[in-house]
Amino acid sequence: MNTMTPKLITVGKDKNVRPVKIGGTEQLAFIGGPCAIESRDHARMMAEKIDIICNKLKINWVFKSCYDKDCRSSPDSFHGVGIDEGLKILDEIRGDFGLPVVCDFSDAAWAPATGDIVDLIQVPAYLCRQTTFLRAAAKTKRPIHLKKGQFMSPWNMKNSVRKIEAAGNNQILLADRGTFFGYNMLINDFRNFPIMMETGYPVCFDASHSIQMPTSMGDISGGQREFIPHLVRAAGACGINALFIEVHDDPSNALSDANTVLDIQYLEHVLAHAKATHKLRLELLEKWGEDHVHLDD
Amino acid sequence: MSTLTIELTVEDVLLPPEKIPVVSPTTLLKKTLEIMGDFRLGIASVVNDEDKLVGIFTDGDIRRMLLKEQKPFPSLFADDIVRHTTKSPTTIGPEVTLVDAINVMEEKEIWDLPVVSNDGTFVGLLHLHPAIKSVMKK
Repeated sequence: MNTMTPKLITVGKDKNVRPVKIGGTEQLAFIGGPCAIESRDHARMMAEKIDIICNKLKINWVFKSCYDKDCRSSPDSFHGVGIDEGLKILDEIRGDFGLPVVCDFSDAAWAPATGDIVDLIQVPAYLCRQTTFLRAAAKTKRPIHLKKGQFMSPWNMKNSVRKIEAAGNNQILLADRGTFFGYNMLINDFRNFPIMMETGYPVCFDASHSIQMPTSMGDISGGQREFIPHLVRAAGACGINALFIEVHDDPSNALSDANTVLDIQYLEHVLAHAKATHKLRLELLEKWGEDHVHLDD
Repeated sequence: MSTLTIELTVEDVLLPPEKIPVVSPTTLLKKTLEIMGDFRLGIASVVNDEDKLVGIFTDGDIRRMLLKEQKPFPSLFADDIVRHTTKSPTTIGPEVTLVDAINVMEEKEIWDLPVVSNDGTFVGLLHLHPAIKSVMKK
């Protein structure tokens, strides 16, 4: 099994933000924020609070929040503030807080405008194998946060990677957000990290979506966020380069993913564990060498 | 007959790249198997963008792989072929006489020899059966 040092990608398109390096031998990076941009004031407040925690723990991070939630289970669910308003808010957060930002897009036509603002562009898991979509993401020239679809095997993600490379982009971060385990249930297969690492690109663990129970509550998704700390420690030990968690100050009233977002009061706890397990793994590899235990390898 | 054979060199009887399975290191295992099937040949030459031989993949490698790798077929099929290739195969130069080349085959108990020029460029494959056929035609 190949545990080579992954490629290093840099998130931060200009000097207005603190660049976040992901992969290589860099420390664990964090990507987080509220699932949806609920309002300008809420997004700013969340960025400020998370920044305080990350600064305290000395963790480099990328602010995440989306302007359009096209994968909601119900037509009545909050869909987002829209692309114009959303990108304006993200740009403001970039400028005022010096934070790189990431946002997904649900229509290939939105990619150019989104790429003009964000430092990292995210491909939603459900769309992770759509060629037109991947090409649109690649053309933005931004690093791409490519989430493994819940229906995809980790080895088949290489096809999506190659679609992006064929479109001229080789700045990719591969994420695991759980795999369907029957209906309305996800499970984490931790083999996914070393397998996806074989592409040579860094890997990310999406903790808050991994504990999601998709559309398990009729017209919304449920979740078991009590497992976030356990899964984060396991992912850290497997060798992730980035950790992704959606965070909210009032999860019960969150406009999107209310059953999966992590309450911000626990973020410091979870990030401290993640940073420590990531560091310990690197120390173990340094002391004992690579994870080669396969016969004849 | 023996005089003719002595005069022949590998270059005279080799199969050029367009007549044999040639894949790149990142060709998927499944695609490689298809290409080997198309050419009805049990060996694929793995050649990089600079026309250098990276390794070979044979029917024997498939047998050994199936016993060693115990992961599911969809995962195996998605592997880059370079993962399963023999990295330093025995090769032969195009200028070598056919007799010497056949001696190498006999010594190593192999029926195929990738042909590589002095500068390392892959130029084809010496496959025992067509080689003999060429000799017979002469």
